[in-house]
Amino acid sequence: METLSYLGQGFGVALTPYNLFTALCGTLIGTVVGLLPGLGPINGVALLIPIAFALGLPPESALILLAAVYLGCEYGGRISSILLNIPGEASAVMTTLDGYPLARQGKAGVALSISAWSSFVGGLMATCGVVIFAPLLASWAVAFGPAEYFVLMVFAIVCLAGMAGNKPMKTAIAALIGLLLSCIGIDSNSGVYRFTFGSLGLADGIQFVVLVLGLFSVSEILVLLERTHNGQKAIKAGGRMLFNFKEGASVLVTNLRTGALGFFLGILPGAGATLASAVAYMAEKRLAVKDNKFGEGDLRGLAAPETANSASACGSMVPMLTLGVPGSGTTAVMLGALTLYNITPGPLLFQNQPDIVWGLIASLFVANLMLIVINVPMIKVFTKILAVPYWALVPVIAIITSIGVYAVHATTFDLFLMIGIGVVGYILRKMDFPLSAILLGFILGGLMEQNLRRALSISNGELSILFSSPITWVVWVLIAGMILFPIWRTLRRRREVRRALAAAE
Amino acid sequence: MYQRIFGAILLATCVSLVVVAWGYQAPFSYEPVGPRAYPLLLLVLIIAGALYLLFKPASISLAPVPGHDEEVPLDRPMLIKVCTCVGLLLVYAALFERLGFVLSTTLFGFFIARLYGARWWQCAVIGVVASIGLYLLFDYALDVPLPLGVLELLEN
Repeated sequence: METLSYLGQGFGVALTPYNLFTALCGTLIGTVVGLLPGLGPINGVALLIPIAFALGLPPESALILLAAVYLGCEYGGRISSILLNIPGEASAVMTTLDGYPLARQGKAGVALSISAWSSFVGGLMATCGVVIFAPLLASWAVAFGPAEYFVLMVFAIVCLAGMAGNKPMKTAIAALIGLLLSCIGIDSNSGVYRFTFGSLGLADGIQFVVLVLGLFSVSEILVLLERTHNGQKAIKAGGRMLFNFKEGASVLVTNLRTGALGFFLGILPGAGATLASAVAYMAEKRLAVKDNKFGEGDLRGLAAPETANSASACGSMVPMLTLGVPGSGTTAVMLGALTLYNITPGPLLFQNQPDIVWGLIASLFVANLMLIVINVPMIKVFTKILAVPYWALVPVIAIITSIGVYAVHATTFDLFLMIGIGVVGYILRKMDFPLSAILLGFILGGLMEQNLRRALSISNGELSILFSSPITWVVWVLIAGMILFPIWRTLRRRREVRRALAAAE
Repeated sequence: MYQRIFGAILLATCVSLVVVAWGYQAPFSYEPVGPRAYPLLLLVLIIAGALYLLFKPASISLAPVPGHDEEVPLDRPMLIKVCTCVGLLLVYAALFERLGFVLSTTLFGFFIARLYGARWWQCAVIGVVASIGLYLLFDYALDVPLPLGVLELLEN
């Protein structure tokens, strides 16, 4: 009951004309950013932070804006997947598999509307999940001490690596690099300057906007160099623009299943929308043994990843709001935005700042509704944007990125730092390291060190405090499982490949 | 091959950072863990990872999967393009405050558009429109102060 009254309070915040307008801007920007190939939610959210800050948006409006952009990206990513066969962002890769064939069969309109509907269902289910689970988790997490927090963050990092699929080691290294980057600057406990090498610009650490824009925007600009093209021909979104009842009913079960799946994968730290959509697609493909046309334009194959990625985008808000541990790269950026406002995310947020938390949750409902309403009739406008060539797009991205970085401190040092980080990020990307792991490590790093040192201060240096409560035991067991799981999987795969190689000879 | 070179570089960087971090000691300590332990712990873990990259067994697979190649080929023209792009960004950063936003952005927009395959007149349009448009948008509409640079002389 209490939850409902809080939710009502949240809607009171979200439905003010100012915040409604903010959410509308966010959804429009998000859809456009999502559909442009190469720009994903992380770039979109990161670029908007300095702007939100400069505009003097109050924290709840800023968060509403960022959340709307995040959701909008998950909607927008599907458009270029379906019409161009190029995923607009990483989590829309799976959408190309069945979306593009459908468009080529002349069912682009149906594909677009059913994927928008799927995103809506996924987002709606997951937002309801947030309403139910977030307060529970928050009330439970209040009991966490520094030791429990530290262990939980270790779990988040290990989980990130363990869920990374084919490259757990590289993900782990990337996360560690992120953790190390967070050490740069003055140590708040002792006043020692660490890894600044005498530079004044590094004294208070790397600004996280600089890191995000360097890693994602600059490296993306360099990657786009390889794909210089002058606006690709998109398939015309013709035919019937709306799916009919039969088509909607045929994917409903898929929607419900993958929505729940996406939500729970979203909650897990590190396993973001990309993983959720891939797992959802694979699972649905396996379940649909009879008359499946997966890969040739099956509506269920289109609905599954779209439902899952929207659901996981909302689901990843749960650990961010309740524990202060981001569930995905984009929520890591949002967490960074909260700290810019001097708001410490964590379980106490629910007690101290109910306006922000519940305003954000309510605005997820609002943004979701706006997205489905603007996405169906305005699809023609969005497809026009796909025709913008890189030579017009990249300079604008590069310039806005520079403005965003400059706006933080008004020093050119940050611009140079961003370029340096971007070049390193580009090299890491070429080496197949996941950049979002660096970002998550960076966001968690400071909190992790603080909690470790606080815990050890309590115990006077005894390491046993890290193993002293039932909560820590459970988390340590989960950590052990997460470390052993990828090792076991790799060994099994190697054995299978060996056997296949032996059989081939 | 690139992976192992990268592993070696990562290893060398981390070892030298360990040397740097060894000296971090608080003059007065109020807590059992000083500023040194945590970065050292991380560095040791990264070193372990770098050693793994250096010496890990070559991956075996049935057939090379296109798009999932471990060795990413980077040919010479691409490398030149990437270096030009980085160079342009550096020059832009250097001129950002000196020339001011509008002039430096016009120049930067012009050349970067060219790099991405625009025709000369398209470059000019992008440079001028992007610099003036974004200046008006950010400085006036969004209240992000941008450096005027040389144009400051015109203001008085």
